[in-house]
Amino acid sequence: MTQSRSPLAKIGKGLQILLLLAYAVFALFPLLWMFIMSIKPDSQMLTTTFIFTPTLENYATVLHSDYMQFFFNNLIVSVAAVLVSLVVGVPAAYALARFQFKGKEDIAFTILSFRFAPEILVILPLYLIYQRLGLYDTYFGLIWVYQLITLPLLIWILRGFFEDISPDIEAAAQLDGYTWWQVFLRVLLPLVKPGLVAAGLLCFIFAWNSFTFPLLLSNNVQTSTVIALRYLASDTVHYGQVAAAAAISALPEVILALLIQKHLVRGLSFGAVKG
Amino acid sequence: MASIHLSGLTKFYGKRRGVEDVSLQVGDQEFLTVFGPAGAGKTTTLNLIAGIVTPDRGSIRIGEKTVDPLEPADRNVAMVFESYALYPQFTVYQNMAFPLRSPKHCLPAAEVEQRVRHFATMLKIDHLLERQIQALSNGQRQRTALGRALVRRPDVFLMDEPLSHLDAKLRHSMRAELKEMRGQLGTTTIYVTHDYLEAMSLGDRVAVINQGRILQVGTPEEVYFQPTTVEVAKLFGDPEINLIEAKIRSRQSTSVRVQALGEDWSFPITPEIGSALDKLTGENVQLGFRPADVTVGVNGNSSLHGVVYSFEPLGTKSVLTIDSVAGQRVRALVDGHRTFQVDRRIEFSVPSASLIFFDPESTRYLIRSTRTEGED
Repeated sequence: MTQSRSPLAKIGKGLQILLLLAYAVFALFPLLWMFIMSIKPDSQMLTTTFIFTPTLENYATVLHSDYMQFFFNNLIVSVAAVLVSLVVGVPAAYALARFQFKGKEDIAFTILSFRFAPEILVILPLYLIYQRLGLYDTYFGLIWVYQLITLPLLIWILRGFFEDISPDIEAAAQLDGYTWWQVFLRVLLPLVKPGLVAAGLLCFIFAWNSFTFPLLLSNNVQTSTVIALRYLASDTVHYGQVAAAAAISALPEVILALLIQKHLVRGLSFGAVKG
Repeated sequence: MASIHLSGLTKFYGKRRGVEDVSLQVGDQEFLTVFGPAGAGKTTTLNLIAGIVTPDRGSIRIGEKTVDPLEPADRNVAMVFESYALYPQFTVYQNMAFPLRSPKHCLPAAEVEQRVRHFATMLKIDHLLERQIQALSNGQRQRTALGRALVRRPDVFLMDEPLSHLDAKLRHSMRAELKEMRGQLGTTTIYVTHDYLEAMSLGDRVAVINQGRILQVGTPEEVYFQPTTVEVAKLFGDPEINLIEAKIRSRQSTSVRVQALGEDWSFPITPEIGSALDKLTGENVQLGFRPADVTVGVNGNSSLHGVVYSFEPLGTKSVLTIDSVAGQRVRALVDGHRTFQVDRRIEFSVPSASLIFFDPESTRYLIRSTRTEGED
């Protein structure tokens, strides 16, 4: 590409950059819009020009309310849900990738099907069951139901990664004098790490953004996604506060994504471990 | 250093046969090649010895020790995999040091360093030690895999087609190098290959395996010159051995007259061949002869006739396929400087001195003309 300096190639390159830029603006615009809204006073909310008096009042209102408590609730259930998924999902993904057993594909498909059943479809029976079992309005209940969101995703992404690793590598490491557990920890886990990171992050995002489950399966143990509703009253809508709450809510995801960016790119482009 | 005893090893994958009733003795410091076509059960045999796969039946002894209950790590066996199975996240050095740093061996750092460098130099990869595996060529990966097995100083080496992914030239030079190396190391080795040249050139003995069963174990000369069955004869040699059905017309004590390839011809026999032919139930015998032994004549003293079907020049030799009178094709290896026109009529003769006789019913070896049974 670099040595062919024909005008056509130059134009192509320019066009490519232009398109990517356009897409970047398109993708980032909602974030920018949210941020702008969050620093607008309510009175200027509906002006279409970008001229307004910036204010931090929205943030102050949100931070001084009990919103942060729900923010931490969300953090607790989402992180816990991802951790549980990792503990359960990594061995499950390994088993589905490695072992031949009866009904393997059926099990894998059933796990995946949890993902494409709409939440609203199962929420009523779940609500009743949760009421009976005493899981309604508990951290544990939410963490458990979040597995419907996180576990299939994690298992299916990691399964692909484990399948990419030749069983010979495992056998080689065992012959080299390591027990199965040591092989798993020292050879396999490092190889699936990009997938682990990417899947973990995606799971966290989905869990964090979950709305239907916390809305209907808990009351006091509420998450920030649901609580943001309170700024939408029937008579007034505090767009500024909604935006500020949303901006605060988006922070963990943005920070996480930036921290593990390097692994994320590798993890989402499969086949990173082909030797 | 140790001998290996396999007895009655059987492994089925569901209904598919991996190996069945494989019994084999490999002597201390012996280099045994296991030869067979794809899917013959060669790799399964190695995996069973290494302990990667557990047998359904049968038992394995390495040295004086029965290793059946032992984990792969405890068998002191090193294996070179067909896929090399290098750890892609490590450098060449880390790959080679990995077995030495394992809890099983756990050598001091200085010794690890010394051993890795020693074998890296021997394999001519000492300049690559800090390279990532992805940055290596196939040949270099192969050497690294070999190095990782060598540093261990194991009782037994298992090599699973280590040369099959290399290009032809490199394969030949590596074959020579391996041959030289086995002299230096003197470790009991089982070497799996689907290349009959590799099997014959490297092995002290060759075990021929097909469809999960051992067909013959013997020196390279034995398996080539005295194959126990037609199947074994077909597996060795390229172009493949010629096999023809011959009907015995009449027999004297020193010669036999047969009808084969659509013509009547005779050839001299020894008393041993005579008594071997006596064992036949029918009047048919199956004859095998290598393409290299066929003489293609022009001046009228050959006994058989045919038409050139195809002619493939290969440099020093050419492969000639002849349509015989009966229509059955005969392959002949002729000198590279001779050329033949397709469809040209030619005469040829089957070498009476290098015929292999098979029982057509059981397809088992009876006798061959120049060598007698029991001869080495």
